[in-house]
Amino acid sequence: MKPLMLQGHERSITQIKYNRDGDLLFSASKDQKPNVWYSLNGERLGTYNGHNGAVWCVDVDWTSTKLITGSGDMTTKLWDVQHGVPLASIKTASSVRTCNFSYSGNQAAYSTDRAMGQNCEIFIIDVRTVDASLSHQDSTLRIPVLQSKVTAMQWGTLDETIITGHENGQITLWDLRTGKEINAVNDHTSQINDMQLSKDGTMFVTASKDTTAKLFDSDSLMCLKTYKTERPVNSASVSPILDHVVLGGGQDAMEVTTTSARAGKFDSLFFHLIYEEEFARLKGHFGPINSLCFHPDGRSYATGGEDGFVRVQAFDNSYFEYVFE
Amino acid sequence: MAKKKSEEYGGDCEADGEYGEEPNFEDPEGFVDDVTDEELLADVLKQKPCETDGVENVVVVDNIPKVGPARQEKLKSVVEKLFANFGKIVNVYYPLDEEETTKGYAFLEYKNSAQAEEAVKALNNHRLDKSHTFAVNLFTDFQKYENIPEKWEPPTQQPYKVQEDLYNFLTEPDAYDQYCVAAETGQNSVQVQFWQNTIPEPTDLETRERFTDTFVKWSPLGTYIVTFHKPGVAIWGGTSYNKINKFPHPGTQFVDFSPGENYLVTYGPTQTGQKIIIWDIRSGQEKRSFVSDNMSSMSMFRWSHDDKYVARMCENSIQVYETPGFYLLDMKSIKIPGIRSFSWSPTDNIIAYWVAEETDVPAKVTLMEIPKKREIRNKNLFNVADCKIHWQKSGDYLCVKVDRFSKSKKDKKDADVKFLGMFYNFEIFHMREKDIPVDSVELKELILAFAWEPVGTKFGIIHGDPSNANVSFYEVKKGQKPSLVKKLEKKLCTHMFWSPRGQFVVLGNLTMGTLEFVDTNNDFVVMTTADHFRASDVEWDPTGRYVVTGVSSWKVKEDTGYNMYSFQGRLLRRTMLKNFVQFLWRPRPPSLLSEAQQKEIKKNLKKYYPQFESKDRMRMTRASKELLEKRAQLRAQFMEYRNKRIAEWTEQKSRRLQLRNHVDTDNLDTEDVDEEIVEFLVKEDVTVLE
Repeated sequence: MKPLMLQGHERSITQIKYNRDGDLLFSASKDQKPNVWYSLNGERLGTYNGHNGAVWCVDVDWTSTKLITGSGDMTTKLWDVQHGVPLASIKTASSVRTCNFSYSGNQAAYSTDRAMGQNCEIFIIDVRTVDASLSHQDSTLRIPVLQSKVTAMQWGTLDETIITGHENGQITLWDLRTGKEINAVNDHTSQINDMQLSKDGTMFVTASKDTTAKLFDSDSLMCLKTYKTERPVNSASVSPILDHVVLGGGQDAMEVTTTSARAGKFDSLFFHLIYEEEFARLKGHFGPINSLCFHPDGRSYATGGEDGFVRVQAFDNSYFEYVFE
Repeated sequence: MAKKKSEEYGGDCEADGEYGEEPNFEDPEGFVDDVTDEELLADVLKQKPCETDGVENVVVVDNIPKVGPARQEKLKSVVEKLFANFGKIVNVYYPLDEEETTKGYAFLEYKNSAQAEEAVKALNNHRLDKSHTFAVNLFTDFQKYENIPEKWEPPTQQPYKVQEDLYNFLTEPDAYDQYCVAAETGQNSVQVQFWQNTIPEPTDLETRERFTDTFVKWSPLGTYIVTFHKPGVAIWGGTSYNKINKFPHPGTQFVDFSPGENYLVTYGPTQTGQKIIIWDIRSGQEKRSFVSDNMSSMSMFRWSHDDKYVARMCENSIQVYETPGFYLLDMKSIKIPGIRSFSWSPTDNIIAYWVAEETDVPAKVTLMEIPKKREIRNKNLFNVADCKIHWQKSGDYLCVKVDRFSKSKKDKKDADVKFLGMFYNFEIFHMREKDIPVDSVELKELILAFAWEPVGTKFGIIHGDPSNANVSFYEVKKGQKPSLVKKLEKKLCTHMFWSPRGQFVVLGNLTMGTLEFVDTNNDFVVMTTADHFRASDVEWDPTGRYVVTGVSSWKVKEDTGYNMYSFQGRLLRRTMLKNFVQFLWRPRPPSLLSEAQQKEIKKNLKKYYPQFESKDRMRMTRASKELLEKRAQLRAQFMEYRNKRIAEWTEQKSRRLQLRNHVDTDNLDTEDVDEEIVEFLVKEDVTVLE
């Protein structure tokens, strides 16, 4: 089927996310304006105007009422999804690299870059009631990260833990009651670009610059599977209905201008979750894929690229009929 | 430093003096010395001066011209200049007769024996002029030949060394081909892997770390593989690729085998040009060496198909050497004024060469029979800028590509000749027909590639602009002009690679890495297109069943590796290999079956076909069975883990519900989305129909 091309961003896409129902698709971009789209037809509902810098991350809570974004303008903002107005803006000491709502949507976490003499830090905030006063309130928990900076983050399933991926490839599990590290693994050798939970949250898939993606257990951080490619992986997602994983990546953004699209390998790669075998490739973007995710119903997936486009690709029947023996 | 040491030593001695009484070193009474000096101090004795010292530095030069006193200075300077190339001459002596004329020989002394030996090697049989050919010997040879014992002693029998079976690789029952893959692992160290191209997965036969310094090369029949090292080259063969022989030629950069694998030519640069040595492969003996003062391909030796002759081009002549003695054929080179290039027929002892155009003389392509040196065909050509000689592999046809011009201009500044209005002729020589008729095909567009079908009667030409090229296929028939059978237009290709068995051809663009597989017996249909970005090499296997494209780290640093395709262009395997440099199929010698036997097999192919087919199918099912078993195991392991986790997850359900206000979100409720169709009235138009 022909993919939907969502053209609305002027610069490269940094992160895309579906809401829980899958009817909305949120996209964050370096052009400062996160967008929201109807995932069914690719129509743009609106934009969230207010940031003054590249927006690095976006997340929507499970009720699709609140949106959180983190930006290079050294703020993280909470938005009313429906009306597109900012509810709160929290000043930070450096760029906000990751942000996520917890399972319950009562809490949110965001992390800042180690830059301008500031350490990388993880903040946990209470977002049960969001208004302008949030910007003055202290965060419920503040964890300074002294080693390598946080480049990807996910909440554990029960609001008790968070998992962070770091620039040096380390993955750390934090206990939020104590603010202490529970476990850390070093299966990856280079920066973790993305982490996404499986549908039930018991596993997550990482995407790393070391050209591999790996599947981990969310509690023990045990590495279950490894998916090998030839290029840095920027994003990876687990299918909610089939034993499939999709990977996207390509050249480093810096090197993109010097490589032709044919050399860059900007395809989405489909792997079997268990057998670790690549079984399909899909072309599309003119640059690396920066973020991708499966639709919650598993019948389509969306990619956001360095080329500024978001593509929504619905699967043909042959995709569902294809069976690994 | 040495002085200081001895001083220290002296000092010690003085200190030792304090120890008083010296022990007795005298031999006990009745002692017989049964240790000879040789046993005791062999190494010191070796350095002992002996009578012959200096004599081995002397060479005797015979057959120098006999000249009177007037011209002796001149003679001396000529001779000494020649011999000074090998070291400083410290002493000369030209014996004179009563009339003060030189006696026709001279003695020259070098500083050491190595220089003298070098001079003998290089200048023995040196032709000074028509009537004087030097005979240079070591002075010590006199002694050597004088001391030959009267009584002949039969040589002792050497123990028989079992020769390894060098053709073992041909006995593979399923005729799987071998290939080698070279990858750089460090500076001057290349790892080489040998593989057998078995179904369904290739088998690793052997991996050799640091096998060669630069690259490897197979001999033309696949018997040997040659490696390059600082001291020279080595050849390897047999079941486990053992060293067969080595050829000490330091700094060898390139080698060439004779087609019958009897001789090896090594090319190594020297300060002024290059040294070329021809070796006998089996004995490892140096047959002849040449020093050439230029590096160009001019000095390349070219072999006749049967190893009988080897030829090279010099200015205005071809030198043909006869094996095994490596003397010039009839002791003289063949004078061909203005010769530009030559080539041997791949099946007959015929040389094709062309000479450039002179002011009033046209350019000429000539076929010459060797050893009779008889010209069997001549073809005059006008307005020729350049020629390329292409023999068909079976020697039935010869094509000379002639670059012609309608106008030429001499650029005064550069003294370069500029050609305008270029067009191209292909002169086809029908070698097997009486009097060798010649046909011509003309094309106006720039020629990018030309290639004969190795077996068969077709040839292909890529012409036009590289980004929008045309590919023309011609067929040659007995007694007829070549006819255009197909023209493929608007292709993106620069090179063409015929299957060694003919019929199939791969059109490739080696800058982009696009490939097209064409079946020339089936209306030239493009069977498949493939894409291997920046592929720089295309290699057919010797049986024409597989094609390999490679991205070599000699050219590109990223994504090096090789892809293997079937002859129809189906991608079979993709292999990424860091610092991959070379992929080489092991060649095979020609079939031993006669033409009739081959025909017989082709006729009964249907009979053999199911046999092979079932064999292959069995292998594939075995492989897929293994794969399925492996997958089943993986699946079982994973499911065990998953079930445990899912159980844990289900237990946590109440806590999850708590977190989300008792809304069960575990199962999506988006399944029953109602599709609502909303219609808007956009515009209303009224069109009046006439």
